[in-house]
Amino acid sequence: MPIATLDARRATLDSPAMTSEHADASSAAASSTETSGDAARRDDFAEQAMQYADQLYAAAMRMTRNPADAADLVQETLLKAYAAYGSFKRGTNLRAWLYRIQTNTYINTYRKQQRRPFEAALDDMEEWQVGDAESFTSMSSRSAEAEAIHRMPAGIVKDALQQVPVDFRMAVYWVDVEGLSYAETADVMETPVGTVMSRLHRGRKLLRGLLADYAAEQGIAVEGAGGSKGTTKEKKP
Amino acid sequence: MSTVQANKADENRDCAEARAALEEYLHNELCAEDAADVRAHLESCEECSAEHHVGQTLTAALQGACKDRAPEELRERLLASLRAAQAQHR
Repeated sequence: MPIATLDARRATLDSPAMTSEHADASSAAASSTETSGDAARRDDFAEQAMQYADQLYAAAMRMTRNPADAADLVQETLLKAYAAYGSFKRGTNLRAWLYRIQTNTYINTYRKQQRRPFEAALDDMEEWQVGDAESFTSMSSRSAEAEAIHRMPAGIVKDALQQVPVDFRMAVYWVDVEGLSYAETADVMETPVGTVMSRLHRGRKLLRGLLADYAAEQGIAVEGAGGSKGTTKEKKP
Repeated sequence: MSTVQANKADENRDCAEARAALEEYLHNELCAEDAADVRAHLESCEECSAEHHVGQTLTAALQGACKDRAPEELRERLLASLRAAQAQHR
Protein backbone atom coordinates (compact mmCIF):
# COMPACT_ATOMS: atom_id res chain seq x y z
CA MET A 1 0.00 0.00 0.00
CA PRO A 2 1.60 3.31 -1.03
CA ILE A 3 1.14 5.11 2.25
CA ALA A 4 3.14 8.18 1.27
CA THR A 5 0.97 8.76 -1.80
CA LEU A 6 -2.19 8.39 0.21
CA ASP A 7 -0.95 10.76 2.85
CA ALA A 8 -0.15 13.29 0.19
CA ARG A 9 -3.63 12.89 -1.24
CA ARG A 10 -5.18 13.25 2.15
CA ALA A 11 -3.17 16.34 2.85
CA THR A 12 -4.49 18.04 -0.28
CA LEU A 13 -8.01 17.03 0.63
CA ASP A 14 -7.58 18.31 4.15
CA SER A 15 -7.49 21.88 2.90
CA PRO A 16 -11.12 22.37 1.81
CA ALA A 17 -13.15 24.34 4.29
CA MET A 18 -15.22 21.75 6.08
CA THR A 19 -16.10 23.50 9.28
CA SER A 20 -18.51 26.37 9.24
CA GLU A 21 -15.83 28.79 10.50
CA HIS A 22 -13.60 27.97 7.57
CA ALA A 23 -16.48 27.97 5.17
CA ASP A 24 -17.51 31.46 6.29
CA ALA A 25 -13.95 32.70 5.97
CA SER A 26 -13.50 31.26 2.51
CA SER A 27 -16.77 32.61 1.19
CA ALA A 28 -15.98 36.04 2.60
CA ALA A 29 -12.58 35.93 0.92
CA ALA A 30 -14.15 34.69 -2.28
CA SER A 31 -16.71 37.48 -2.46
CA SER A 32 -14.09 40.22 -2.22
CA THR A 33 -11.79 38.78 -4.88
CA GLU A 34 -14.24 36.88 -6.99
CA THR A 35 -13.74 36.78 -10.70
CA SER A 36 -16.55 36.16 -13.17
CA GLY A 37 -15.13 32.63 -13.57
CA ASP A 38 -15.69 31.91 -9.89
CA ALA A 39 -19.22 33.26 -10.12
CA ALA A 40 -19.95 31.01 -13.07
CA ARG A 41 -18.54 28.06 -11.16
CA ARG A 42 -20.81 28.82 -8.25
CA ASP A 43 -23.80 28.99 -10.55
CA ASP A 44 -22.74 25.62 -11.81
CA PHE A 45 -22.63 24.14 -8.31
CA ALA A 46 -26.34 23.56 -7.81
CA GLU A 47 -26.59 21.65 -11.05
CA GLN A 48 -23.50 19.56 -10.31
CA ALA A 49 -24.39 18.82 -6.71
CA MET A 50 -28.08 18.10 -7.25
CA GLN A 51 -27.10 15.11 -9.39
CA TYR A 52 -26.01 13.49 -6.15
CA ALA A 53 -29.11 14.37 -4.12
CA ASP A 54 -30.30 10.76 -3.98
CA GLN A 55 -26.90 9.44 -3.02
CA LEU A 56 -26.34 12.11 -0.39
CA TYR A 57 -29.76 11.39 1.04
CA ALA A 58 -29.13 7.63 1.08
CA ALA A 59 -25.80 8.15 2.85
CA ALA A 60 -27.46 10.58 5.29
CA MET A 61 -30.12 7.97 6.03
CA ARG A 62 -27.38 5.47 6.85
CA MET A 63 -25.73 7.99 9.18
CA THR A 64 -28.71 9.51 10.98
CA ARG A 65 -31.20 6.65 10.56
CA ASN A 66 -34.20 8.94 10.25
CA PRO A 67 -35.64 10.96 7.36
CA ALA A 68 -35.90 14.32 9.14
CA ASP A 69 -32.28 14.37 10.31
CA ALA A 70 -31.16 12.96 6.97
CA ALA A 71 -32.87 15.81 5.11
CA ASP A 72 -31.30 18.41 7.42
CA LEU A 73 -27.89 16.80 7.02
CA VAL A 74 -28.09 16.87 3.22
CA GLN A 75 -29.12 20.52 3.24
CA GLU A 76 -26.32 21.49 5.62
CA THR A 77 -23.85 19.49 3.55
CA LEU A 78 -24.80 21.23 0.31
CA LEU A 79 -24.65 24.68 1.87
CA LYS A 80 -21.19 24.03 3.29
CA ALA A 81 -20.06 22.56 0.01
CA TYR A 82 -21.41 25.60 -1.82
CA ALA A 83 -19.49 27.94 0.45
CA ALA A 84 -16.32 25.88 0.04
CA TYR A 85 -16.73 25.19 -3.68
CA GLY A 86 -13.90 27.58 -4.52
CA SER A 87 -11.49 25.16 -2.86
CA PHE A 88 -12.80 22.14 -4.74
CA LYS A 89 -10.23 20.98 -7.27
CA ARG A 90 -11.88 20.64 -10.62
CA GLY A 91 -11.36 17.25 -12.20
CA THR A 92 -11.26 15.49 -8.82
CA ASN A 93 -14.12 13.42 -7.52
CA LEU A 94 -16.99 15.75 -6.60
CA ARG A 95 -19.08 12.93 -5.17
CA ALA A 96 -16.31 11.84 -2.75
CA TRP A 97 -15.68 15.48 -1.84
CA LEU A 98 -19.37 15.93 -0.98
CA TYR A 99 -19.37 12.71 1.05
CA ARG A 100 -16.41 13.96 2.99
CA ILE A 101 -18.13 17.23 3.84
CA GLN A 102 -21.23 15.25 4.77
CA THR A 103 -19.21 12.96 7.04
CA ASN A 104 -17.63 15.95 8.77
CA THR A 105 -20.95 17.69 9.12
CA TYR A 106 -22.48 14.56 10.60
CA ILE A 107 -19.66 14.19 13.12
CA ASN A 108 -19.74 17.89 14.07
CA THR A 109 -23.49 18.17 14.30
CA TYR A 110 -24.85 14.82 15.35
CA ARG A 111 -22.01 13.07 17.06
CA LYS A 112 -20.30 15.78 19.05
CA GLN A 113 -22.08 14.84 22.27
CA GLN A 114 -21.57 11.11 22.14
CA ARG A 115 -17.92 10.49 21.34
CA ARG A 116 -18.73 6.80 20.69
CA PRO A 117 -16.37 5.14 23.14
CA PHE A 118 -17.36 1.61 22.29
CA GLU A 119 -16.89 1.94 18.57
CA ALA A 120 -13.38 3.23 19.09
CA ALA A 121 -12.84 0.28 21.42
CA LEU A 122 -14.02 -2.04 18.65
CA ASP A 123 -11.54 -0.48 16.22
CA ASP A 124 -8.77 -1.37 18.64
CA MET A 125 -9.90 -4.90 19.26
CA GLU A 126 -7.70 -7.76 18.23
CA GLU A 127 -8.99 -10.08 15.56
CA TRP A 128 -9.25 -13.07 17.94
CA GLN A 129 -11.51 -11.04 20.23
CA VAL A 130 -13.96 -10.31 17.45
CA GLY A 131 -13.96 -13.97 16.49
CA ASP A 132 -13.64 -15.47 13.08
CA ALA A 133 -17.04 -16.58 11.91
CA GLU A 134 -15.91 -17.94 8.56
CA SER A 135 -13.33 -20.30 9.93
CA PHE A 136 -15.82 -22.68 11.46
CA THR A 137 -18.58 -22.42 8.88
CA SER A 138 -18.72 -25.53 6.75
CA MET A 139 -19.17 -25.36 3.02
CA SER A 140 -22.72 -26.69 3.02
CA SER A 141 -23.77 -24.06 5.54
CA ARG A 142 -21.96 -21.41 3.48
CA SER A 143 -24.13 -22.17 0.51
CA ALA A 144 -27.15 -22.12 2.83
CA GLU A 145 -25.94 -18.75 4.12
CA ALA A 146 -25.56 -17.33 0.60
CA GLU A 147 -29.00 -18.64 -0.29
CA ALA A 148 -30.52 -17.11 2.85
CA ILE A 149 -28.89 -13.73 2.19
CA HIS A 150 -30.03 -13.86 -1.41
CA ARG A 151 -33.64 -14.42 -0.32
CA MET A 152 -33.54 -11.86 2.48
CA PRO A 153 -36.11 -9.05 2.04
CA ALA A 154 -34.42 -5.69 1.30
CA GLY A 155 -36.02 -4.14 4.40
CA ILE A 156 -34.40 -6.74 6.63
CA VAL A 157 -30.97 -6.17 5.08
CA LYS A 158 -31.36 -2.43 5.52
CA ASP A 159 -32.46 -2.80 9.16
CA ALA A 160 -29.51 -5.08 9.86
CA LEU A 161 -27.11 -2.55 8.35
CA GLN A 162 -28.65 0.20 10.48
CA GLN A 163 -27.90 -1.85 13.61
CA VAL A 164 -24.18 -2.01 12.87
CA PRO A 165 -22.15 0.68 14.72
CA VAL A 166 -21.93 3.79 12.55
CA ASP A 167 -18.21 3.70 11.65
CA PHE A 168 -18.45 0.10 10.50
CA ARG A 169 -21.80 0.72 8.84
CA MET A 170 -20.44 3.63 6.83
CA ALA A 171 -17.30 1.76 5.73
CA VAL A 172 -19.57 -1.01 4.41
CA TYR A 173 -21.87 1.55 2.83
CA TRP A 174 -19.13 3.50 1.02
CA VAL A 175 -17.38 0.42 -0.30
CA ASP A 176 -20.14 -2.09 -0.93
CA VAL A 177 -23.04 0.15 -1.88
CA GLU A 178 -21.37 3.26 -3.27
CA GLY A 179 -18.47 1.36 -4.78
CA LEU A 180 -15.79 3.74 -3.47
CA SER A 181 -12.27 2.35 -3.42
CA TYR A 182 -10.58 1.81 -0.06
CA ALA A 183 -8.45 4.90 -0.70
CA GLU A 184 -11.49 7.05 -1.51
CA THR A 185 -13.26 5.72 1.58
CA ALA A 186 -10.19 6.57 3.65
CA ASP A 187 -10.42 10.14 2.30
CA VAL A 188 -14.12 10.37 3.06
CA MET A 189 -13.75 8.96 6.59
CA GLU A 190 -10.41 10.68 7.24
CA THR A 191 -8.83 7.48 8.45
CA PRO A 192 -5.90 5.38 7.24
CA VAL A 193 -6.73 2.72 4.64
CA GLY A 194 -5.96 0.02 7.21
CA THR A 195 -8.73 1.35 9.44
CA VAL A 196 -11.15 1.29 6.51
CA MET A 197 -10.25 -2.34 5.87
CA SER A 198 -10.75 -3.38 9.46
CA ARG A 199 -14.03 -1.45 9.80
CA LEU A 200 -15.25 -2.98 6.58
CA HIS A 201 -14.27 -6.47 7.64
CA ARG A 202 -15.90 -6.16 11.03
CA GLY A 203 -18.96 -4.45 9.65
CA ARG A 204 -19.50 -7.21 7.14
CA LYS A 205 -18.94 -9.84 9.77
CA LEU A 206 -21.46 -8.23 12.12
CA LEU A 207 -23.94 -8.05 9.26
CA ARG A 208 -23.52 -11.72 8.47
CA GLY A 209 -24.18 -12.48 12.11
CA LEU A 210 -27.31 -10.31 12.19
CA LEU A 211 -28.62 -11.79 8.95
CA ALA A 212 -27.89 -15.31 10.23
CA ASP A 213 -29.88 -14.46 13.37
CA TYR A 214 -32.77 -13.34 11.22
CA ALA A 215 -32.55 -16.45 9.05
CA ALA A 216 -32.50 -18.61 12.17
CA GLU A 217 -35.63 -16.88 13.45
CA GLN A 218 -37.25 -17.69 10.14
CA GLY A 219 -36.27 -21.31 10.63
CA ILE A 220 -33.42 -21.30 8.12
CA ALA A 221 -30.42 -22.70 9.93
CA VAL A 222 -27.19 -20.95 8.99
CA GLU A 223 -24.99 -22.92 11.28
CA GLY A 224 -21.86 -21.24 12.54
CA ALA A 225 -22.21 -18.11 10.43
CA GLY A 226 -21.91 -15.77 13.38
CA GLY A 227 -25.36 -15.82 14.94
CA SER A 228 -26.37 -14.22 18.19
CA LYS A 229 -23.35 -15.48 20.12
CA GLY A 230 -20.94 -13.81 17.72
CA THR A 231 -22.76 -10.49 17.68
CA THR A 232 -23.28 -10.35 21.45
CA LYS A 233 -19.59 -10.92 21.89
CA GLU A 234 -18.80 -8.02 19.59
CA LYS A 235 -21.25 -5.64 21.19
CA LYS A 236 -19.80 -6.20 24.66
CA PRO A 237 -16.06 -6.23 24.32
CA MET B 1 6.01 -35.87 6.00
CA SER B 2 4.21 -37.94 3.36
CA THR B 3 3.26 -36.47 0.00
CA VAL B 4 -0.39 -36.51 1.00
CA GLN B 5 0.33 -34.59 4.20
CA ALA B 6 2.55 -32.14 2.33
CA ASN B 7 -0.19 -31.52 -0.22
CA LYS B 8 -2.70 -30.99 2.55
CA ALA B 9 -0.39 -28.47 4.22
CA ASP B 10 0.01 -26.62 0.90
CA GLU B 11 -3.74 -26.53 0.46
CA ASN B 12 -4.25 -25.15 3.95
CA ARG B 13 -1.70 -22.45 3.34
CA ASP B 14 -3.30 -21.56 0.00
CA CYS B 15 -6.69 -21.36 1.67
CA ALA B 16 -5.39 -19.17 4.48
CA GLU B 17 -3.76 -16.82 1.98
CA ALA B 18 -6.84 -16.69 -0.22
CA ARG B 19 -9.15 -16.08 2.75
CA ALA B 20 -6.98 -13.25 3.98
CA ALA B 21 -7.20 -11.57 0.56
CA LEU B 22 -10.81 -12.42 -0.22
CA GLU B 23 -12.42 -9.16 0.85
CA GLU B 24 -9.88 -7.12 -1.11
CA TYR B 25 -10.43 -9.43 -4.06
CA LEU B 26 -14.19 -8.91 -3.81
CA HIS B 27 -13.70 -5.14 -3.82
CA ASN B 28 -11.17 -5.13 -6.68
CA GLU B 29 -8.44 -3.84 -4.43
CA LEU B 30 -5.76 -6.40 -5.31
CA CYS B 31 -3.08 -5.87 -7.92
CA ALA B 32 -3.54 -7.96 -11.08
CA GLU B 33 -1.00 -10.57 -9.99
CA ASP B 34 -2.51 -11.16 -6.54
CA ALA B 35 -6.02 -11.15 -7.99
CA ALA B 36 -4.97 -13.83 -10.48
CA ASP B 37 -3.62 -15.99 -7.62
CA VAL B 38 -6.87 -15.69 -5.69
CA ARG B 39 -8.91 -16.39 -8.81
CA ALA B 40 -6.88 -19.51 -9.55
CA HIS B 41 -7.32 -20.72 -5.99
CA LEU B 42 -11.08 -20.13 -6.08
CA GLU B 43 -11.34 -22.21 -9.23
CA SER B 44 -9.78 -25.18 -7.48
CA CYS B 45 -11.18 -24.78 -3.95
CA GLU B 46 -14.88 -25.25 -3.36
CA GLU B 47 -14.79 -24.04 0.23
CA CYS B 48 -13.08 -20.75 -0.52
CA SER B 49 -15.28 -20.34 -3.56
CA ALA B 50 -18.36 -20.80 -1.35
CA GLU B 51 -17.00 -18.22 1.07
CA HIS B 52 -16.43 -15.80 -1.80
CA HIS B 53 -19.98 -16.42 -3.00
CA VAL B 54 -21.33 -15.42 0.44
CA GLY B 55 -19.32 -12.21 0.15
CA GLN B 56 -20.67 -11.42 -3.30
CA THR B 57 -24.21 -12.17 -2.19
CA LEU B 58 -23.86 -9.88 0.81
CA THR B 59 -22.64 -7.01 -1.38
CA ALA B 60 -25.49 -7.54 -3.84
CA ALA B 61 -28.04 -7.65 -1.01
CA LEU B 62 -26.69 -4.38 0.41
CA GLN B 63 -26.85 -2.69 -2.97
CA GLY B 64 -30.42 -3.84 -3.39
CA ALA B 65 -31.38 -2.69 0.10
CA CYS B 66 -29.96 0.86 0.06
CA LYS B 67 -31.83 2.57 -2.74
CA ASP B 68 -33.20 5.55 -0.89
CA ARG B 69 -34.29 8.45 -3.05
CA ALA B 70 -34.34 12.05 -1.95
CA PRO B 71 -38.01 13.00 -1.52
CA GLU B 72 -39.24 15.58 -4.03
CA GLU B 73 -39.98 17.96 -1.16
CA LEU B 74 -36.34 17.76 -0.07
CA ARG B 75 -35.08 18.42 -3.60
CA GLU B 76 -37.16 21.58 -3.74
CA ARG B 77 -35.90 22.63 -0.33
CA LEU B 78 -32.28 22.04 -1.39
CA LEU B 79 -32.64 24.05 -4.57
CA ALA B 80 -34.33 26.87 -2.70
CA SER B 81 -31.61 27.03 -0.06
CA LEU B 82 -28.87 26.97 -2.70
CA ARG B 83 -30.62 29.78 -4.60
CA ALA B 84 -30.84 31.76 -1.37
CA ALA B 85 -27.13 31.23 -0.71
CA GLN B 86 -26.36 32.32 -4.26
CA ALA B 87 -28.47 35.46 -3.92
CA GLN B 88 -26.72 36.33 -0.68
CA HIS B 89 -23.41 35.84 -2.39
CA ARG B 90 -23.91 38.37 -5.18
